[in-house]
Amino acid sequence: MPNSAYKVAINYFILFSLLLLASGALLFADKIGFSYHSILTYYLGNEAAFESPKTYEGVLKIILPHIFAFGLFVMVILHFVIFTQKRNTKEFTALIYLAFLSAFFELFSPFMILEGFEFFAYVKIFSFFLFEGTILYTLFILFKSILYN
Amino acid sequence: MKPLLNGLLLFIFLYLLFDVFVKSHTMGLSIKTVSTTLFGNADEFLDPMNKSVFLEFVHMQIFFLMMILLTLSAVFVRLLHQKRNTILVLNIVMLFALLSPITLVAAYFYSTEFVGIYLFAFFTWHTLALYMTLASLWELNIAK
Repeated sequence: MPNSAYKVAINYFILFSLLLLASGALLFADKIGFSYHSILTYYLGNEAAFESPKTYEGVLKIILPHIFAFGLFVMVILHFVIFTQKRNTKEFTALIYLAFLSAFFELFSPFMILEGFEFFAYVKIFSFFLFEGTILYTLFILFKSILYN
Repeated sequence: MKPLLNGLLLFIFLYLLFDVFVKSHTMGLSIKTVSTTLFGNADEFLDPMNKSVFLEFVHMQIFFLMMILLTLSAVFVRLLHQKRNTILVLNIVMLFALLSPITLVAAYFYSTEFVGIYLFAFFTWHTLALYMTLASLWELNIAK
């Protein structure tokens, strides 16, 4: 009984996580946009469109709650993998590194853009999709494990 | 373990309670006030909610919702797993909690009719989560 109840709770947690990823992607698309130029415009501004550039303080204000939230979210999701057959596998270790590293680059690449390294706009897009992909794959592992084990 | 769970449950109880008060002042808790917040009111010169602000609000709500309910359900299942209605309560609270942000998004982007469903889902999951908190506290401290 407790195990089946925990499985119910984790199943719903997977659904909530999908909603969180979807709302995050919508927000990214709406506020920043997924193209190289839209990312540069968002952070560096555009005089012609009367858009002012972001400041370091402004970016820090946005990423501060995300540093805690990303860490907690990734830890909670990945710790469920310990209860699956993927425990103690190289794949699990790779997922941990991928999730935390992509989250790190997603959060901190805007500072490099503000420093003038425009290439980091690509890093921002790539790390965002890598993070979403890693989490989606982890959720798939959890769902499959609940379904078959 | 007992004082630790008591502390956690007390804080969850306070969060659920004050969340209702905060929502009544920010989003509103009636069909009229929620609609005014989302779509504005030309007669009262109130602007509609900006799309980015709305998406930020929903995104944040989903995060808090999932963390609160995951924590609460873990404690609830641990303490009341022998009761018959535990899984039923768990399913209903989670379904309505899921429905809450989904219907709010549907109300903003598709039809104002979803506002009523959003409010019903909001009050149902809050009531059930409060019940889960109080039932867990009862099981932890009073029941033999």
